[in-house]
Amino acid sequence: MLFYVARRLLTAFITILVVVILAGVLIHVVPGDPITAMLAQSGSADADDIARLTAQYGLDQPVWKQALLYAGNALQGDLGTTIRGGEPVAELLLDRLPNTIALAVAGLGTALVLGIPMGFIAAVNRGRAADFAVMLIAILGVSIPGFWMGLTFIQVFSLHLGWFPVAGTSARNIVLPALTLGVVHSALVARMTRSALVDILNEDYIRTARARGLREHQVLLVHAMRPAMISVVTVVGLVFAHLLGGQVITENVFSWNGIGRLAIQAMLQRDYPLVQGFIVIFATSIVLVTTALDLLYGLLDPRVRRR
Amino acid sequence: MTKASNTLFALLTGATALTALPAMAATLTVARGVDADGLDPQQVSTTQSSQITNLMFDTLVTLDASGEAHPGLAESWEISDDNLSYAFTIREGLTCHDGSAFTPEDVVFTFDRARDPETKNPRLAQYGPIESVTTEGNVVTVTMTEPYGPLMSYLGSFSIPMMCQGSVTADGGFEPVGTGPFKLVEWSRNDHITLAANDAYQNFNPLIENPGRPYVDELKLVVIPEAVARMAALRSGEVDLAEPSLEEAALLDSDPAFKVYSADLSGQQVLTAFTWKIPPLDNPDVRRAIGMGLDRDSYAMIAYEGLVSPTTCPAAPGLIGVDLEKCAEWGVSYDPDAARAILEGLGYTQDSPLEVKLSVHALPGFDQMHQMMQQNLAEIGVQAELETREVAAFFDHMSQENMRTEGTPVVWTMGYSGVDSDYMTTMWKTPGFVNMGLGGEMDAMLDEQRTLTGDARVEKLQEIQKILLEEGYAVPLVSPGWNWLWASSDKIDGFKTGFVASILFNDVKIAE
Repeated sequence: MLFYVARRLLTAFITILVVVILAGVLIHVVPGDPITAMLAQSGSADADDIARLTAQYGLDQPVWKQALLYAGNALQGDLGTTIRGGEPVAELLLDRLPNTIALAVAGLGTALVLGIPMGFIAAVNRGRAADFAVMLIAILGVSIPGFWMGLTFIQVFSLHLGWFPVAGTSARNIVLPALTLGVVHSALVARMTRSALVDILNEDYIRTARARGLREHQVLLVHAMRPAMISVVTVVGLVFAHLLGGQVITENVFSWNGIGRLAIQAMLQRDYPLVQGFIVIFATSIVLVTTALDLLYGLLDPRVRRR
Repeated sequence: MTKASNTLFALLTGATALTALPAMAATLTVARGVDADGLDPQQVSTTQSSQITNLMFDTLVTLDASGEAHPGLAESWEISDDNLSYAFTIREGLTCHDGSAFTPEDVVFTFDRARDPETKNPRLAQYGPIESVTTEGNVVTVTMTEPYGPLMSYLGSFSIPMMCQGSVTADGGFEPVGTGPFKLVEWSRNDHITLAANDAYQNFNPLIENPGRPYVDELKLVVIPEAVARMAALRSGEVDLAEPSLEEAALLDSDPAFKVYSADLSGQQVLTAFTWKIPPLDNPDVRRAIGMGLDRDSYAMIAYEGLVSPTTCPAAPGLIGVDLEKCAEWGVSYDPDAARAILEGLGYTQDSPLEVKLSVHALPGFDQMHQMMQQNLAEIGVQAELETREVAAFFDHMSQENMRTEGTPVVWTMGYSGVDSDYMTTMWKTPGFVNMGLGGEMDAMLDEQRTLTGDARVEKLQEIQKILLEEGYAVPLVSPGWNWLWASSDKIDGFKTGFVASILFNDVKIAE
């Protein structure tokens, strides 16, 4: 087990290192540079100024050198300072990470609250109208673009009903973005729940439970639903990891002060250190969550450790 | 409440920064689409940033609506006959946000810091060729190595704001300490900026009526990136003032419950330019014919919902040396028949059109205007392939396109803004903005206008514009050009916009 853990942690470290270096290289492939973009907006795009500031920010160095320098600093916890405003990148991102995590947790919670009952209803009504109706709703939920759904929620719940504020970062503000993320991701949860439950309901021990005269709700909720949840739990980690980085648009629509919203602005301004910092934090979060899941599987299932 | 729900509640509330919306009547909440990229006025580059720093820092001189300089932090000034020396008498009795007195030493500190390479000042070029800044008694003397005509305009704009020495902390950090109408309370990057009224404020800006402290106690500028959400916040009363989309501005303009404001002094305009090194766009007749095909009146009325005006000069209306009537004579007007005849004479017809790329970047109003341009061009025998890029990629792309001498020619549009027509130097002097510089005689003329003042400078600026228009290098379209529109509820009174789309809240009153 110890060897397995060490191997997983080493893989995680190498993955993060590769991401850090790739982020440093690939960002230079994107057309546009931060200094031209900055000066064009300052009404002072003087060629001498461009050359002077490019050198001052170290952007005149070869890309490989910039990438390696960045990787070295990043591994020591120094993500640099933003080109726009000269603020410490790590501080900016870590200040906002709790907001992003809070929204991811709320979105995941909403997805589970919506998705599990939907999957349950579909499974116990397999092949009937309710099954099709629920799955149709789930497909619609995942098909509607998140930003459109978010803007619709704003129009309905904020503007017309006045139930929630439009924008901001507070406990009241979290409801609509969490609902948006929850609806989108509930489809996956519903499908997983349905699939697992349908399989389990065909198992011999379920038939035995029914033959023993157990009430149907006992059979479904205790004997079928519990084991089905194991499959659901496996997707929870993946959904959560996706939510951490995949809520960039939702944060933007609802002006939620998370790292995704910060990243969008940084990308448009080509603020390389901030974009790289976002990629590092995002990649690290994904790697940590998936590594934790791998270790959990290893703990639960010895066959995984032996592979 | 179960243990699980307790945990979830704690996560949702504890891990989240609470920023309750203000309920005080004297708090004005303003929604913008983009945040400032910094609060150091000598490091920021975007107009959105300077809109904020302009609320905290005053200027040595102020500008009236015609662009003429008036006293500001300097109560008077004298300019030497050779235009090399500017002696500013600094007003006494002014107080910085940290309670210290504003002195001539603060002015020297401002200029020294701005010119220090460590500051990385993106607007250093606008300070001009300064040789020294010295102080004697209450007078600060700025000495130039050569005459610099635009200096007073820039001194009156947010490009050269005056800082107090308290702006630099003991450890070398920065705190925004100025003499402006508002002082910083809090900044949460990309989320909100909270400013408080400066009780000690004395106003000298002729665009502002209120002589003292702003009427509102607190100003909260929140960032709501999505235009739809911003408008929902305005309509629901969550914010008092917001940047609307063009479509929303047109709707709100006809709604008595709202007011719409346009940045009339923005010094902004949109123009069409050409990759003039690539044939056949190296031919002025072709460039002028394309200009004749562009229906700028329709762009203003349809694409911009009538919220902007057609314009004729290469620099924006209201700036020094800009005479729209003269420019109309020098440039081209919409005449598709004449355009078609010129192009047919050069062998380009609707069956055998001139093929160009119409390269643009994404901006509100731009999409529809460019579709209309594409139709206009098709009618005169020019087949334009429309290509849209986001802003940073567009600048990079055009920097390369403007260097080319062969291949598919490019017709492109751009916007520029400033407080002085001197921005034509940034654009057209070699290498120029995204390498659009013309070189030769134009470079010399642009250099020369900087050394002149008064009528002589106006004359030179007009000479420059005449060449740009007669040679068809620039086809001005509309002004102002992009989203410096504001909308408020009818409860808000006294909101104004200033030069380069600065926003002025000193006169704002909120009705009960």
